[in-house]
Amino acid sequence: MPTVDIDPDELRDLTGHDDVGDEELKDDLFGLGLEFEGHTEDGAFELEFAPDRLDRLSVEGVARSLRYQYGDARGVHVPSTNSAEWSITVDDSVPDERPYVTGAVIRDVSLDEDGLDSLIQLQEKLHATMGRKRAKGAIGIHDLTMLKGASATDTDTPTIEYVGVEPDEDRFVPLDSDAELTPAEVLEEHDTGRTYADLVSEYERYPAIYDDIGLFSFPPVINGRRTEVSTESRDLFVEMTGTDQWTIDKMLNIVCYALAARGATIEDVTVQYPDHELVRPDLSTKTKSVPHKRIETILGINLDPNEVVDLAERSGLEATKEDSEDADELVYEFTIPPYRVDVLHPLDVIDDLGRAYGFNELEPEYPDVGTVGGRHERSRLEDAARTQLVGLGFEDLLNFHMISEAENYERLGVSPNADAYGAGEAATIKEPYSEDFTMLRTWVMPSLLMVLERNTHRAYPQHLAEIGFTAAVDKSENTGVTEQRHVGAVLANHDAGYEDAKARLQALARRFDVELETPPTEHPTFISGRTAAVVIDGEEVGVIGEVHPKVLVEHDLEVPVAAFEFELAALQ
Amino acid sequence: MQLPAAQVAVLEAASADEATSVDALAEATDLPPETVTGAVFELEAEGLVTVSERVDETITLTDEGREYAESELPEISLYEAALEAGADDDPVSMGQVIGASGLEGSAVDIALSNYARKGYGQIDSGEITADSDADPTSDEEASALESLATGDGLDDAEVRDQLERRGLLEISETTVREVTLTDDGVTELMAGLETAETVGQVTPDLLTGGDWEDVEFAEYNVEADAEQFEGGRVHILRQTADRVKDVLVGMGFQEMEGPHVDADFWINDCLFMPQDHPARTHWDRFALEQPTHIDDLPEDLVADVERAHKEGVGPDGEGYHSPWDEDFARALALRGHTTSLSTRYLSGEEIGEIEPPARFFSVEKVYRNDTLDPTHLLEFFQIEGWVMAEDLSVRDLMGTFEEFYAQFGIEDIQFKPHYNPYTEPSFELFGTHPTTGELVEIGNSGIFREEMLEPLGVECDVMAWGLALERLLMLMYGFEDIRDIHGTLCDLELLRETEVTY
Repeated sequence: MPTVDIDPDELRDLTGHDDVGDEELKDDLFGLGLEFEGHTEDGAFELEFAPDRLDRLSVEGVARSLRYQYGDARGVHVPSTNSAEWSITVDDSVPDERPYVTGAVIRDVSLDEDGLDSLIQLQEKLHATMGRKRAKGAIGIHDLTMLKGASATDTDTPTIEYVGVEPDEDRFVPLDSDAELTPAEVLEEHDTGRTYADLVSEYERYPAIYDDIGLFSFPPVINGRRTEVSTESRDLFVEMTGTDQWTIDKMLNIVCYALAARGATIEDVTVQYPDHELVRPDLSTKTKSVPHKRIETILGINLDPNEVVDLAERSGLEATKEDSEDADELVYEFTIPPYRVDVLHPLDVIDDLGRAYGFNELEPEYPDVGTVGGRHERSRLEDAARTQLVGLGFEDLLNFHMISEAENYERLGVSPNADAYGAGEAATIKEPYSEDFTMLRTWVMPSLLMVLERNTHRAYPQHLAEIGFTAAVDKSENTGVTEQRHVGAVLANHDAGYEDAKARLQALARRFDVELETPPTEHPTFISGRTAAVVIDGEEVGVIGEVHPKVLVEHDLEVPVAAFEFELAALQ
Repeated sequence: MQLPAAQVAVLEAASADEATSVDALAEATDLPPETVTGAVFELEAEGLVTVSERVDETITLTDEGREYAESELPEISLYEAALEAGADDDPVSMGQVIGASGLEGSAVDIALSNYARKGYGQIDSGEITADSDADPTSDEEASALESLATGDGLDDAEVRDQLERRGLLEISETTVREVTLTDDGVTELMAGLETAETVGQVTPDLLTGGDWEDVEFAEYNVEADAEQFEGGRVHILRQTADRVKDVLVGMGFQEMEGPHVDADFWINDCLFMPQDHPARTHWDRFALEQPTHIDDLPEDLVADVERAHKEGVGPDGEGYHSPWDEDFARALALRGHTTSLSTRYLSGEEIGEIEPPARFFSVEKVYRNDTLDPTHLLEFFQIEGWVMAEDLSVRDLMGTFEEFYAQFGIEDIQFKPHYNPYTEPSFELFGTHPTTGELVEIGNSGIFREEMLEPLGVECDVMAWGLALERLLMLMYGFEDIRDIHGTLCDLELLRETEVTY
């Protein structure tokens, strides 16, 4: 799970609880679902977080949640914003792949080193989560004093322009560089450029942001050096571009809340698309209607309506009772603050209420619901066959379903295209873990021989069996793969022979009351003249024989091995 | 005095003056040593002989030890290569010397770990030096190996212990029993002994002819160990799976069954996992190279699932602000969880509409491209279970799982609020390890989201949980490396020695 670094002293400052010790603080954070993983080199807490509450990706957000937990804050708080002076104009040339932009102006910022680090971390964590590694949303934060707003055509307000440029059309000096580079050169020559090159390299035109002076940002890759933010910066311009308006607007809200928590003032920005206009940040609240009954059934307790309202406020939400004549039909309208990105459904509100109530306060209760249990027929058959095999003296094995081509075919002398049991087209894996696990096994014999190979130092006889999963490509199946259980068995001992295998196979057939025939056949894994097809109730379902010396030697075996394998379903 | 033939033979072969070993007696009497041992104990009980015991040590070379005795120790090969490369003057790069030495694989580590210890030189920051004063011909370990290989003994205890630590020799102990006649034994022998008529095996002739009434049966040493016998047994992990199945069936759960290779639609989309969720593009998924896509998906369901992803469910529902593409949903992969079975069953596609109340489970394999290590496999068994009923609560969920884990001796379950895209509320389950007392994670659970259930056509609550069977096995049995148990690297000895539980 992802982690976030939080300086405990800053947290104490922002919550106003200077007296809370480290251990107590860790417990309080655990209550929020932030688990202490260790200290960073600078002594900050490294906290593991579940990726739902993305408003807690920085010390400001964590402090806000703690203040609700401590009871210092209640209900919904929305920072006020000043009306827009700046605008972002979106040009027709913007690449179709990345059409959306949003932004805000932040005034009177006072960032010390810690504050700046926290802002940078928040930006990185948002990129990694909501921003899907900048593909879905990317953040650029600029020193506003370094921007010169071009006069927009139809207003007097300063504006910056979001455009698309040819890869080598223009130059700028990117962060961490002294050279003037074109966007295409950034992707080739700059470290950050190379890291994010895949995001835009397929684009015909690259995204770019201009002010009156020129190109100053190449989203989602890198900002220009001219507008770099430092502890000296007092006013900021925050812009975000992406593939989804909602996502970047929410990311913007989280950043605005974090900066407002440090005393900054938020100022609206007008986003001027060719055909419509947005005013951002969008700090409007959302509502969800949740019936009182649903809260009670999910939590399994009776609640007083006032208690629900109280739980909501302690969660940073607000609840108002909707008018209703019947008390049983009571419904609340919950107000959801604009920094929450995880509330998709009324159930999410109930989860918040449960956390505020304390899930651990709930008494477990075994549900009074009667149902009849039972095993699936396939698994009953498998177990019955396994019991018989064990009775016949086999040690039951459990092997991997993934195997390599070499093990599955070549080391048993079988060609994938051969007309032999175990041959056939394999279901293969696109990006295997290693060359040992590239496909699903088409039969279990290879796994059994691998176990014999690994255990030549162990006592013989080794009578091993596996009822195991096999798969092969079969176009007639819906998934394109036929999946079967096979019964595979090997008898390895100094005097093991065909008859030993046949005797046990016969016993199985007799016990399951099926008719067994073993007409001679040829199979590359077995010795010619000591190989037969396994025919059950008239259908060829497997093979039995003495394993060929070339296969034995290949597996470093110094004893003969008799073996059989057939489809479990034949015993039905 | 009448005695069984073997005892008579042993008495006659033994001496009152010097102790005779059981092996020597066996040779003299032409009887198997175990028969002689049996006879000796009988005679001792009669007071006719005394038996003394002595423990002998035998030193034998292991395969590796024999190999070095025939060629040479790897550190000597390394030393010779280092000298050759001029490392007695200046340090030489380790890679170069190893290459020249012809050492490969584990022999390299063996050579490096013994090189400095034995004063052949130093290894530092990837470079190697050779001490020109060292003399491989006077290497004590090498000469000890040689002398053992030619059948001579080894007296130097220090060298012997060192070689044993290196796994080059094995020291085995054997108990030698020696027999001396007592005065009573001599007296009886002088007085003359008669051989009692004894019978070894009960034969058909003996039974049908009635002779069994007159014969004495030769006595066995019933205390001696018999030859080891393995016989068949069910794999320990299967046994654990069966135990879990028993418990769940007892709790009213029905078993599910379904494909290992499945469409992402059933594995993820039906679970309300957004298509741009990191877990779906992440490398821990095993996508199929061939075949690539499922043929058919139920059209209406696809449309409903897409709508839930895009618009959410219910009047206040909100979908994900993520792209949704049917082709992406049709891609085939090895299932990363058996929740794909749950979605298939809940949708009515497998066994038709399921009426509440219902409980279903499976204990089946799932596949994750994780790092292989002692506690992680690429394929493992997932215990999956769900309960469908009207108005299920978090308390019902807690009660169900407490009951389940109690069956395995895991008490004091703790529920930590958690986040899953497909459940809300969600809980990680923690339990106290039955032996170490540690708090360990034992599962993940929650109430399925309405965005998941509504498209599947489920109109009541469903609570679910999942857990790795191997984790439960390791908790119950204390295994340290799961690879010894599950898969083709398994150790038959370990499987054979594992204690039976129930």
